[in-house]
Amino acid sequence: MSANTIYLALFLYFIIGSIVARRAGKKLGGGVNEFFLASRSLGGIVAALTYSATTYSAFMLVGLAGLTYIGGVGAFGFELIYLSGLILVAFFGPRFWLVGKRYNYLTPTEMLGDRYQSKAVAAISAVAAVIFLIPYSAVQLIGIGALLEGISGGAIPYMVGVGIAAFIAVYWTWSGGLKAVAWTDSLQAAVMLTVAITSIIFIAYRGFGGFGGMFTQLEAQYPTWLTVPGPGFFNVKAFIGLTLPWFFFSISNPQVSQRLFMPRSLGQMRIMVMGFLVFGFIYTIVSVLWGFSARLLLPDLALADSATPALLGLSIVPASIALLVMLGISAAAISTVNSIVLTLSSMVCRDVFKNVSTGANEDRELLVGKIFVPLFTLLIVFFATQRLGLIASLSVASSAGLLVMVPALIGSFFWKRGTAAAVLASIIIGGLVATILQFSGLRPLGLWPGVWSGLVAVVLFIVVSLFTKAPEQKAAEFLGYLKEELSGRKVI
Amino acid sequence: MSLERQRILWVVLFCLMILTAIIVPFTPLMRDLTKFYGAFLFWSIFGLVVIVCLGFITAKWRDDDER
Repeated sequence: MSANTIYLALFLYFIIGSIVARRAGKKLGGGVNEFFLASRSLGGIVAALTYSATTYSAFMLVGLAGLTYIGGVGAFGFELIYLSGLILVAFFGPRFWLVGKRYNYLTPTEMLGDRYQSKAVAAISAVAAVIFLIPYSAVQLIGIGALLEGISGGAIPYMVGVGIAAFIAVYWTWSGGLKAVAWTDSLQAAVMLTVAITSIIFIAYRGFGGFGGMFTQLEAQYPTWLTVPGPGFFNVKAFIGLTLPWFFFSISNPQVSQRLFMPRSLGQMRIMVMGFLVFGFIYTIVSVLWGFSARLLLPDLALADSATPALLGLSIVPASIALLVMLGISAAAISTVNSIVLTLSSMVCRDVFKNVSTGANEDRELLVGKIFVPLFTLLIVFFATQRLGLIASLSVASSAGLLVMVPALIGSFFWKRGTAAAVLASIIIGGLVATILQFSGLRPLGLWPGVWSGLVAVVLFIVVSLFTKAPEQKAAEFLGYLKEELSGRKVI
Repeated sequence: MSLERQRILWVVLFCLMILTAIIVPFTPLMRDLTKFYGAFLFWSIFGLVVIVCLGFITAKWRDDDER
């Protein structure tokens, strides 16, 4: 595909998105809550689309398709169990939303700090989120850089692709904070889903005569790809090692859990959850079918992650569809990066700056938050320029690393004995365990890093809590308020 | 049924569903079922059941003016 065609498509995409972002920006009021949470006023459909676009990154059509290519149907099970992690939102969603409104929390880490009555808890958990999410975001940009370089036959240099994606992400975020991110995310989610469905229909019918034909060929040529462990990748330990940390994604990842503060009512949150589930179910099926298609049409690829770019180069995929898929994958990556950047910036201004600065007021807090939007983006670009194995490792470690926040989060809503010391111990030591195991490649007892970091965090949180003093008054007030509100609303 | 009891029942049900989703495809019966209607269909149904269950649970989430 010619570089000029790709540049033109990206330019048009940028212009349309910028019009949306500027319109959102014009409706932007003042204050930190407005910039980072749209004043908790999102409608259900926009909330569902921004939740979907934030959750689903370039990993789906590239990474998950690649996992299916090498490991078969196990990738589908892994991703659907991950989607079923929304079960957690059934319990935590209304609780996050209620206390967010009551105590005016801006970030999930601020909530942890207040609930456990410790500024250190807020600051350390915010820093942990930065450590694990910056490399994760860098991998998104690396993905776009490699994709554009690949489909243009090298005519679009890697760094140009990275730079374009970073510029779009930061420009849209600056245009209008969360409102602009949510509206452009909605546009991007619509592009992601439409393109994914259209492209798989083309591939299935032009490549195999339909979906039935695709499965008939799979059953005949690659039967083990329809089973687990199948070709071998998805043995039980690998399957659990992957699914366990990702199952908790909806509460462990702050860019997603912060979205539980944003709907304007619980009724709108319901639309958000159900909308996301339908989006995720379809997007997962399409991504896995991409992987199966690549397995049948391109059986000799050396790298699993090249399955999608290689598939786009086949003659059965019209150039216009290939171009749209490229846009869809870029949209998935950009919408994840800008949401992460905005969430991390809100954490820095609220959980770090406000806690350490003596002269912090809302204007200065907002200014700090806004300054960190381009700063974090530059940091992500810098990481993306390195293309190091280190970044990939940290990115993979992100799910295992952020999993260590889960005991503290569960404890804040369901266990009044939890203490700040226990939260700090579980996050710091659990995070170190995740990182060390990921870098060293060690798998004690054959178990993956996420299993160990999760276990360590749970044990430390419980044991340290039993030997330290809990913030009894705050716990009683926090949990008492929730109990009263939930029973009044008949919500479990 | 009290809210507390409902919550416990849903937690138990969801734990069973997740365990089933992890264990069943690895059992000998399904491990050798190299067909579309093996693990692929099983996990598809699992995903749909989760969506329906969440539809039930969230049905009580209302807008404030509907309460």
